[in-house]
Amino acid sequence: MPEIFIDNIRYEFEGKPKVLQFMLDQGLDHPFFCYHPSLSIPANCRQCYVEAGTPVMNRETNDWELDENGERVIRYFPKLMTSCSLEATDGMVIKTHRTSELVKRGHKDVLEFILMNHPLDCPICDQAGECPLQIQTYKYGPEGSRFEHKKVHKPKRIKLGPRVILDAERCINCTRCVRFTDEISKTHQLTIISRGDKNYPAVAPGTEFDDPYSLNTVDICPVGALTSADFRFKARVWEMNQTPSIDITNGKGCNTDVWVRNNLVLRITPRYNPDVNDHWMPDIGREDYRRMNENRISRPDLKLDGNKIKSSWSNAEMTFAETISNAKPEEFLVLGSAFSSLEDNFTLQKFFKSRGIENISFVTNIQKGSGDGFLMDDDQYPNTNGCRMLGFEELSPATFKKKVSGGKYKVIISLEDDLLGREVIDTTDLNSAFFVYFGSNNNKTSEAADLVIPISNSVETPSTYINVDGRCQRTVPAKETIYTNRKLNLEMSVGRLDRYGTKFDNWVSDRNRVDCIPGWEFLERVALLDNSNFGYETSEDIIHEIAHTNSNFSGVSYEAMDEQLGVQLKVTKETKEKTA
Amino acid sequence: MNTDWKNFEPVLIPNIKDLYKIDVYEKNGGYEQLKKVFKDKKHTPESLVNEVKAANIRGRGGAGFNAGLKWSFMPKPDGGPRYIAANGDESEPGTFKDRVIFERNPHLFIEGSILAGFAMDITAVYVYIRGEYRDQINMMQKAIDDAYAKGYLGKNILKSGFDLEMYVHSGAGAYICGEESSLMESLEGKRGYPRVKPPFPAQKGLWGRPTTINNIETLANVPLVVKNGADWYTSIGAKTHPGPVLYGISGHVNRPGVYEYPTGMLITDLINDVCKGVRGGKKVKAVIPGGSSTPPLRGDSLDGVRMDADSLRTAGSMMGTAGMIVMDEDTDIVDVIWRISHFYHHESCGQCTPCRDGTGFLEKTLIKIKDGEGEMRDLDILLDLCTQMEGRTICALADAAAWPVRYAVERFREDFEKRVKKTVYAVA
Repeated sequence: MPEIFIDNIRYEFEGKPKVLQFMLDQGLDHPFFCYHPSLSIPANCRQCYVEAGTPVMNRETNDWELDENGERVIRYFPKLMTSCSLEATDGMVIKTHRTSELVKRGHKDVLEFILMNHPLDCPICDQAGECPLQIQTYKYGPEGSRFEHKKVHKPKRIKLGPRVILDAERCINCTRCVRFTDEISKTHQLTIISRGDKNYPAVAPGTEFDDPYSLNTVDICPVGALTSADFRFKARVWEMNQTPSIDITNGKGCNTDVWVRNNLVLRITPRYNPDVNDHWMPDIGREDYRRMNENRISRPDLKLDGNKIKSSWSNAEMTFAETISNAKPEEFLVLGSAFSSLEDNFTLQKFFKSRGIENISFVTNIQKGSGDGFLMDDDQYPNTNGCRMLGFEELSPATFKKKVSGGKYKVIISLEDDLLGREVIDTTDLNSAFFVYFGSNNNKTSEAADLVIPISNSVETPSTYINVDGRCQRTVPAKETIYTNRKLNLEMSVGRLDRYGTKFDNWVSDRNRVDCIPGWEFLERVALLDNSNFGYETSEDIIHEIAHTNSNFSGVSYEAMDEQLGVQLKVTKETKEKTA
Repeated sequence: MNTDWKNFEPVLIPNIKDLYKIDVYEKNGGYEQLKKVFKDKKHTPESLVNEVKAANIRGRGGAGFNAGLKWSFMPKPDGGPRYIAANGDESEPGTFKDRVIFERNPHLFIEGSILAGFAMDITAVYVYIRGEYRDQINMMQKAIDDAYAKGYLGKNILKSGFDLEMYVHSGAGAYICGEESSLMESLEGKRGYPRVKPPFPAQKGLWGRPTTINNIETLANVPLVVKNGADWYTSIGAKTHPGPVLYGISGHVNRPGVYEYPTGMLITDLINDVCKGVRGGKKVKAVIPGGSSTPPLRGDSLDGVRMDADSLRTAGSMMGTAGMIVMDEDTDIVDVIWRISHFYHHESCGQCTPCRDGTGFLEKTLIKIKDGEGEMRDLDILLDLCTQMEGRTICALADAAAWPVRYAVERFREDFEKRVKKTVYAVA
């Protein structure tokens, strides 16, 4: 196997990796700005210098030439090489800043140049705290500045598009954003204009940066030049907790990180998953944070003589139990939801199965032609495949309307799915029935419901979703509800303040906590009333049971999903046909 | 070494009236070599490449690389298009030689391009001319149109079955587009950013196809080699750097202009005999031998320095484009270097950090010194900045910007020291 020596340590490599990527893969720290593993390599920031040499091959013996000590003769490249564009070859010798003064000096020199015209407004810059320039300046930068002249001034606060704002002075011209629009989103909306130290990215005159993936440029910007119009000035990075999650605005199920402060989600960023979304996610998924914070249902709602009143949990449980015991099995319409998690859907199925109701259906939300073949799919709901695999009856909105409008059902129970909001049915269809709705946000459907059970959403309880390609992925709780506590829930991520704060910091906030429980827990509590409960204590128990009772889900567990960034399930022929 | 330069008959721009007209050119033996190659089968493509390689035509664009060797890097034809990009961007201050070819002898260049195209099985030649040469672009276009009309270009040239197209492309006034890879980007309609090498243009050039980039003057030398043979060519001028060359001499000389002489001329001969001495009989203070990016030489170190790559390297400079700038003893070197630095600051494309910001830092420091605000340590900063820039970028523009400053500070330090404040810092 070919070998490479980095700082006198021998590594083996396969294929033709670039030296920088190889070093990063080995966990070696090395500074860089313009390089991004998913974009082309321009080698323009010149930050990732290494000294590189190749052993001299003796053409006659076809072996390495050796010096008098028996060591290989190494021929070094005359200049410092950018490791991002340098391909590893057999026997190559690399010296980084750890062993070479020249490389150390090179890193310092380039940082001096980059910082020369950089405004150094870290105290008011949104990027501070997660800024590669800031981090690498502390690690590799010069001690002070020799630049005693006027900095170059460029436009600030330019609204490039509806979601992205540019501060050209902070820009270091790494061209990551330009390459993103050229190579990934393929809208070619950004370019660098002007020349030399006056250049900065811009859009063509008369156009705006309305790329549906535009906010990814904010993520990959190595400085604070591109900022999100929505998130800027809202929070410092170190005040938030970063928790892995899944985007549920779309069937693709992009992997995300949610950033939480005071139990409010402040932003959503993509998380790397090579099998689903790489480093990217659509802008529309990032706006989903509002749904997680705003307009939440807190405590159960009960309709009494046409008026909504807040009810207690025990009252809601009793009402629910009474309702289902008063109706015959054929008078039930039980709806799972492709919007809800696998845990909730499965518990719903199990709950009603034990009460003699086998047939559970769900209503699809597939908008033909809305997908783009990249990270936005026609399927608007995250768990359509999950419902199919559980064996739910798949109903198109039209067939469902026909089914429900006859008025033959006395009790309709639905997991979170805004059927009225997306105009599948209207209130007249529900008049004759007692409508129980499990939901986390107020909407038209919850307005129309007779009993509303507030349930935790995907960032408050572990929720599993199966995306359009059959990838089973789960979220991790990120914000507290009244019944959960980040100090007790070991799954919740630990932020900087958790780690370094004192008890006087008073960072644990009671604010913005919603009075809701996971859907499965409510069903478990109702079942407990007649001692037919399932014994679920955590959502992990449910996934464990699914994996061991349903062959579609074999191999699924939270552990596996966390370790392998989701578990790939086989999408059966049947489900595939239905998707097509 | 051929020292008999005084009897040298110009061959690139011979003294013939109206040579730019195709009829006159043909009457004086023009396009004869083309006929010899295509009709009389004087050369196969391989033998033509070998002939040019043996002639050792060193690229006239600055780098001085053997043109035939460059041609031999082209991969074997695979049926797809292959290109020549002829570099007439010529935007280095002090260089104005290609312009004379466009004006006086464009057909020699066209003939050379066709021969080069034949040698490398080229589909199309792009003649990239700097946008400021508005008249020259029109003249070149006229010459190409004439050649098309006579059947020297286009389909089935001289019934040989060989096709070649030739296009003129005008630059938009960027110095960086004279660098070969950014010239290609510019030709493709993109922003003129130099490309990372490898891949080299011979593998992946214009539109990802094999491409050779040659200077206009280099290609104009090809018909001469084909006509007289490699031995004749190597007998002209310096041994390691043979051939006739166009010296573009400007500055404080009595008769500035473009002169065709063999390589290896003594710089003193060029100044004193060819250009009839320095204006007002003054002494030479500095000479920049090959365009503004080459290191300046001191006037008192010119004895025996010849205009060829080896001699100039020994003297501490470069041949470049042979665009020589002569400065007399009244010249203020600080002002000169500031102006050169300003040019590179303005022309840096902004792709690589060391050049983008380094050129600005250099210029701002030089302005400080020029305005009398400089301190001694600024000179050290200048030298330090040059170290930070040299060889650290994708193309050679950072070197081009740093060398004049570095060698000016090293060779004319007293001029700089005169301009800076005599501040003495107390050491505690």
